[in-house]
Amino acid sequence: MADPTNHANAANPLPVATVDDVKRINPLVPMKARVTRIIEETSDVKTFCVSTIGEDGMPAAPFHTGPGQLAMLSLPGVGEAMFSATDAPDHLQISIKKVGLLTEQLHEICEGQTVGIRGPYGNGFDMEAMKGKNVLFIGGGIGLAPVRSVVRYCVDHREDYGNLHLIYGARTYDDLVFKYDLFETWPKVPDFKVSVTVDRGDDNWKGNVGFVPAFIEQLHPSPENTVCILCGPPIMIKFTLGVLDKLGFTPENVITTLEMRMKCGIGKCGRCNIGSCFVCLDGPVFSLAQLKLLPNEY
Amino acid sequence: MKAFPKDKLTAVLDTLAKQATLWVPAIVAGVSRFAPYGPGREVQLGANTVMSPKEALFPATEKIYEYSAYGIDGEFTPVDPSVGPQILFGLRSCDMQGILCLDDVFLTRGYVDDYYAKKREEATLVTLGCVTPGPDCFCYAMGVNPAEHAASDAQLFDLGDAYGIVARTAKGEALVSALETAGLLSESDKAPLPTGDFVLKVDAEGITEKLQHMFDHPLWDAFSRKCLNCGACAYICPTCHCFDISDKKRNAHCGIKIKCWDTCMYSEYALMAGGHNPRPSKKERVRQRFMHKLRYFPERYGKLQCTGCGRCIAKCPVNLEITDVIQQVREAKIDG
Repeated sequence: MADPTNHANAANPLPVATVDDVKRINPLVPMKARVTRIIEETSDVKTFCVSTIGEDGMPAAPFHTGPGQLAMLSLPGVGEAMFSATDAPDHLQISIKKVGLLTEQLHEICEGQTVGIRGPYGNGFDMEAMKGKNVLFIGGGIGLAPVRSVVRYCVDHREDYGNLHLIYGARTYDDLVFKYDLFETWPKVPDFKVSVTVDRGDDNWKGNVGFVPAFIEQLHPSPENTVCILCGPPIMIKFTLGVLDKLGFTPENVITTLEMRMKCGIGKCGRCNIGSCFVCLDGPVFSLAQLKLLPNEY
Repeated sequence: MKAFPKDKLTAVLDTLAKQATLWVPAIVAGVSRFAPYGPGREVQLGANTVMSPKEALFPATEKIYEYSAYGIDGEFTPVDPSVGPQILFGLRSCDMQGILCLDDVFLTRGYVDDYYAKKREEATLVTLGCVTPGPDCFCYAMGVNPAEHAASDAQLFDLGDAYGIVARTAKGEALVSALETAGLLSESDKAPLPTGDFVLKVDAEGITEKLQHMFDHPLWDAFSRKCLNCGACAYICPTCHCFDISDKKRNAHCGIKIKCWDTCMYSEYALMAGGHNPRPSKKERVRQRFMHKLRYFPERYGKLQCTGCGRCIAKCPVNLEITDVIQQVREAKIDG
């Protein structure tokens, strides 16, 4: 199974807008973009490949998003919302679960649809600070989307990071997102261990059955020189944090990405604050140590 | 200082209205607010307005771009944020301070909100020193000087039978020289009338530091029991800056995107698709309002986000008064 999202042309990099360009342009008005490809991940998750259209009619990346950064995707006449974005050489990939009015409409669109895109927003993961360390990725359900942006970065800069280990779980085999990465691409990467579990087994699934926190305990990853990148549903996070603590991971080395309702993306409209931080500007990436300093309101 | 007699006010306003859209405190359809000056406008310089002047720079509803959608095709067309030159005449110190809070939000921290920035750049702000504080005023407790505000472009002083005017910036000098050219100004050696006594006594010393230890304090339950989450406080507040961005459809194919006032008092404000709400009940929302004004904003921008204008005290339907919150927080015991 080849990566169906990879239609990059690495030999011919395209000029892209920088964050400064985005600031210079009105940051609240989207750039016109096009959905060039839609990948059905599961029954309720689709990955949308989004490009602006260059003067030559070929796809041009609207902007680069660093691992963990966000992009505001809008469907004209329906609305807009903030999503975690994954950078690909000539486009952005945004994986969206059907949860509300906008996302239901997005699941109805076809390839070629014009959308609006603005960003990138947020701090993203500090990939420099993680250099030379082992990385433990833990994801649950659609939470693998932001984690995947970091995984891809580590794979692309393989020599900068130590051993990689992904522990991922979803309800059933059908609910696992990015199967082409989980079972084809990533297991071939040197020193990259991929461990997948499902809550409920079925005939399609030959691997581990059980919840993510229990699976982590069973796998017993070492905290030695290791940063843990964690993203998933709140209930999974809650029990996983207990396990990580038991294993000896310090709050400084557990890093997660938060979700909040956002409108402006630039720290003005007010709604995504946690204490005096705005998740759209100062987040969405926080270490557990940072979160402990903030009011428990997210 | 240079001055004009109070009976020349209309001539002064007529002169200024020729240069720019002139916002004056007035009664419009029974509501006390800042409104563009024009024939028949009932100007009220005696007391501050019920609505804050923020709408001149940050309109309650503002078009930010147009969109069209035909099948798979669509377009986004930005709207010019400029509204041309504006003069805000007769701002009180509290409201000038409110504009400084809006400046922090909309013009700093890496991103600029173009819609606010353009209007702010085009505006000349003329403040008026207060002589008689209203019954709900407490600006002095929030570090604001009611007699004058150093950040305005020009300052008016009540000299009894005349208004003195002092320019502070190039924009202010241009405004004063326009009045001079029109022959409206003369020299006066009278001193400004002093600001009278404040009825409301408040001490907010150390409020930010105290609140840093009170996120889980039972006081928030007590405060929120009263609150109706009506949001009136946020709409009349000179510093509340939260906004929503939403679609307004013209027809099936096109419409406009608008930026409009919003408030943390509303249950849907932070509600996410999928149903999670980090501030699910009144308690969290009331706490957010007061924490934002008195703790989070000072932590982020180094100044209180309350200017002591007293509007929310005057208009709260259940008398949930910020001054009472300040006092109870200061008196509260903290465990541990």
